[in-house]
Amino acid sequence: MTALLKLRGISKRYGDAVAVQPLDLDIFAHDFVAILGPSGCGKTTLLRMIGGFVAPTSGTVEIDGRDVTRIGPEQRPTNTVFQGYGLFPHMTVRQNVGYGLRLQKKPKAEIADRVAEALRQSRLTEFADRSVTALSGGQQQRVALARALILRPKVLLLDEPLAALDLKLRHAMQDELRRLHQEFGGTFVFVTHDQGEALSLANRIAVMNAGRIEQEGDAETIYTAPATRFVATFIGEANLLPGERKAGQVKLEAGPSFADAGADEPVTTVVRPKAVRLLRAEEKADIEISGSLTEVVYLGDHIKCVVAVSDKQDVVVHLDVAVAPRPVVGEHVRLGWSIQQQRVVSA
Amino acid sequence: MNTRSNIIWGIIAFAFIVFLLSPIVLLVIFSFTSRSLTNFPIEGLSLRWWQEMVATRQFWPALANSLIIGVCVAVVSAVVGTLAAMGLAAMPKRRASIIMGLLTLPVMLPPLVLGVALLSFYVSIDLKLGLTTVILSHVLFAQPFVILIVHARMISFDPRVVESARDLGATPLQAFFTVTLPIIQPVVIGAALVAAALSIDDFIITFFTIGTGNTLPTLVWGMIRTGLTPAVNAIGTLILLLTIGSTIIALQLTRYRG
Repeated sequence: MTALLKLRGISKRYGDAVAVQPLDLDIFAHDFVAILGPSGCGKTTLLRMIGGFVAPTSGTVEIDGRDVTRIGPEQRPTNTVFQGYGLFPHMTVRQNVGYGLRLQKKPKAEIADRVAEALRQSRLTEFADRSVTALSGGQQQRVALARALILRPKVLLLDEPLAALDLKLRHAMQDELRRLHQEFGGTFVFVTHDQGEALSLANRIAVMNAGRIEQEGDAETIYTAPATRFVATFIGEANLLPGERKAGQVKLEAGPSFADAGADEPVTTVVRPKAVRLLRAEEKADIEISGSLTEVVYLGDHIKCVVAVSDKQDVVVHLDVAVAPRPVVGEHVRLGWSIQQQRVVSA
Repeated sequence: MNTRSNIIWGIIAFAFIVFLLSPIVLLVIFSFTSRSLTNFPIEGLSLRWWQEMVATRQFWPALANSLIIGVCVAVVSAVVGTLAAMGLAAMPKRRASIIMGLLTLPVMLPPLVLGVALLSFYVSIDLKLGLTTVILSHVLFAQPFVILIVHARMISFDPRVVESARDLGATPLQAFFTVTLPIIQPVVIGAALVAAALSIDDFIITFFTIGTGNTLPTLVWGMIRTGLTPAVNAIGTLILLLTIGSTIIALQLTRYRG
């Protein structure tokens, strides 16, 4: 299967500042892709290069077999939902949604039908003749989506689509986006700094940092098998245990060692708080480490324990609330996890 | 204590306002006097001097010239000024403010200097003096105001609106006419009316660059040289109406909204 959207060696420099390092990315039809990264990592620039709003310094953008690198946004089979939406303040909801079709000089009757249908699908029918400035944030968001989707883009681009909404509305819009993606059957690419949003919406995630894609894969792989230290810390909570690999053997600074193939180099071992267990007497685990409990916090759905395993190394453990007996601060505990649940990455 | 000083300041402010406005009010009142002298007491109100004004042979050509020049200046400076303002808004701030300073230079020059300079310039390039030269000259000093007003609007203009239009299939030109222009239109019209007002009441630069012929202000000047009749007050009131009228509309249109 060939990719619908192919980025090859694409980069963007502003003077001496590099926004995006030369990178490759393939996006396949019907994917829901998140480009995830902290602010300033180049993710929005990358999206804008796909949409045609930023000319890349090098590289090519190919959509559906056609090189679109040099053509403007109006000729690309992409549509964009901008951060802040960019709705036309001098038009009603209906006029906003119909704008693209009017430019295509479609017959009036067809425009009216398709706009009405789009408004119905986005549950905007009752607001059709209101000015967009009179709408709430969530409604404006739906107008922006309807306005872009009515043109049936091959790729829909979304720039931080939920950033401006409050928490409750954000969850509702996540459901809405998921539903639209299923009904519409298109390819969605969205940019976000919120790892929770990326995990809940996207089936594929590209994690960006400092202008590079650090890892690209399905959500589960990104979470359970982070390729770099950055990916491990950016997505979910992680314990980072520094160590050294020599002759296929990793020795952690905090004590334990284990076999791990790879080059001799300083490494970081990543283990999720959920994967760490509190070992009972006599209980064995692949990796064992001990320390004293410095913090126990009840967080509703789990109990967070912080264990000092050395002077400068803490390990965070998430325990089930049903654990009995509840550990107490100051207690000496043994921790353990299985070797499959850890990841060794370059330091 | 406080209320007393408030009262004193109130009286001072009132005195200033009376001083500032009374000449204008007197001008309007005297244009309706029934006597042939512009002083009190006014024995009766009449339209005698307005009729006199309308009957003056040079009045109609002067009014026509004023209106032609005003409209042309408004249109030309609105078009050119809006394009300049959009270009400036897209530039880095530092460069934009340098160019802005350069473009607004004509406003800071004394009109007399500007008038003399323009006259010798037109003469040296052999351009015949007339309405064209007046229009060119007025555009020179009216356009900076258009640039400043429209630029202020463009600074707060959401660029994503234009990007959305492009994204939905509009060429740059289509995006300008369907999105940018309709949104900034009230400000552009307002700025054009300000330009028209500046043009209609200009005397000095018009005087130097018109050659033969008159606009309303130069007509007034010519009339008071031969004697001050209340007909001058009527023309003055008319100029006042034209400029204040267009300025009020301009203020309404360019007023910042949400």
